[in-house]
Amino acid sequence: MSAIIISTLMSGILLGALYALMASGLSLIWTTLGVFNFAHGALMMIGAFVAWTVSEAMGLGIVAGLIAGLGVTAILGIVIEFLLIRPFYSKPNVLLITTMTTLAAMIILEKSAQMIWGARLKQLPRMIEGDVSVLGAVISAQEALIIVLAPLVLIALWQFTSRTTVGRSLRAVGQNQDAAALIGINVPMTFALAFGLGAALAGLSGILLGSIRFITPGLGAEPLVKAMIVVIFGGLGSLGATAGAAFVIGMTEAFLILVVGLYWTPFLLFVFLIAVLVFRPTGLFGKV
Amino acid sequence: MSLLLDVQSVTGGYGAVTVLRGISIHMDVGENIGLFGPNGHGKSTLLRSISGLLRPTSGRHKFDGKDITRKRPSDIVGAGLVHAQQGNTLFGEMTVREILELSAFTYRAQKGAAQALDHVLTLFPRLAERSRQKAKTLSGGERQMLSIGSALMCSPRLLMLDEPTLGLSPKLKEELSVALKDISRNVPLIIVEQDVELLLSVTDRLYLIEHGEVQREINKDNAPDHAEIMDMYFGAHDK
Repeated sequence: MSAIIISTLMSGILLGALYALMASGLSLIWTTLGVFNFAHGALMMIGAFVAWTVSEAMGLGIVAGLIAGLGVTAILGIVIEFLLIRPFYSKPNVLLITTMTTLAAMIILEKSAQMIWGARLKQLPRMIEGDVSVLGAVISAQEALIIVLAPLVLIALWQFTSRTTVGRSLRAVGQNQDAAALIGINVPMTFALAFGLGAALAGLSGILLGSIRFITPGLGAEPLVKAMIVVIFGGLGSLGATAGAAFVIGMTEAFLILVVGLYWTPFLLFVFLIAVLVFRPTGLFGKV
Repeated sequence: MSLLLDVQSVTGGYGAVTVLRGISIHMDVGENIGLFGPNGHGKSTLLRSISGLLRPTSGRHKFDGKDITRKRPSDIVGAGLVHAQQGNTLFGEMTVREILELSAFTYRAQKGAAQALDHVLTLFPRLAERSRQKAKTLSGGERQMLSIGSALMCSPRLLMLDEPTLGLSPKLKEELSVALKDISRNVPLIIVEQDVELLLSVTDRLYLIEHGEVQREINKDNAPDHAEIMDMYFGAHDK
């Protein structure tokens, strides 16, 4: 019995780590620009496919694949910001317009991926081989790597936004655009930077996901929904709140799968989300 | 004398609402000027237009001989023309220290950042006491100090302050006007203020702004008395 609990715990932590990574990029874009990037999941998928092409099809190895995947998604993020967000920034209903434009970007990216890479399943090689035993529960070394890597990336991101001048300028723009401009911060450039960074974070989560699941053009669809739940659940605010919410959701999901099975889990997860939002409209960790 | 700032018949506003109606002001090198007048007549809008937050529909701004009308706010700050907004909460979730450090953002400001920080904390010791607090927890007076401090961190060659004493107690106002005089020794100032006496003590020349235009220019020599100031605000009354 305890072995089942521990392995459920481990899969909860793994889900939490993945969700935290996926949501961090979405949250970064939301807090800086105030728009929701619906192409986030599609960017994850592109990251995974590009990494696969470079590392497998071209045979250059997973490190080259990782770099290529991050680079391409970052550039795509900047292009999306420039073409689909920036023209509408001064419009009063920018949130609604960018919901449509980023949804369009999602569809374009998914269909393009289908044309370029086809529908056949692909998988990235593992970065490390073997298994790891944690308190009697066995997980693959690749999964252990994700569990370790995700918090490290989040800590790096947190340090970046709280200690460096460029990172602080992202927060400043998110909190007060006029005041940020008046101390000399180039606001449009900061938007592009936030979008590029958020997209690269999507790319990274896609590449990690592609090493434990199959890569398909629809790879990012379900994670997008999960990442959005996490960001809303966390209270649409700080990185810490998003990460905390990711692990709460991951753990809840793992135990729901154990108790009610895979079929009812998404349903109950949404019930849980709605219940939390009824009692805490600002999210689990959001401030009133 | 050469002009530090030259605003030439600027028109502008928000959407269909025109606030500035061909306003012209100028500022010589070596002087400080004040702007006053009733609320809602374009003083803040004029500053927003000069600092690039608002694109004027016509007219030109020249700073130090260069046309800055169509420049980005960040480039205008980079050139040394700095604007501290009215009742500015700046970045509520950041600490006082973070905000002051970040305010030395432009290349020009970074070079003198350490010195500027010392200067600001000496000028406003209260900010040193509050350095680890988030900006949103500050009192009104402390926010004004932070706003001015942040502007000073930008290494201004011309500083525009929008109602720096708005909503302050008489005691705080007195403290702040001492600080303003101190700042004015090193940095040329444009101050928007309701308190004409305070303006006269810090600046050399005043513009009365009404209906988006300059209604009257006041020098030290032809300074109005209290009754006249009341007339300017509320319209002439029977004497």
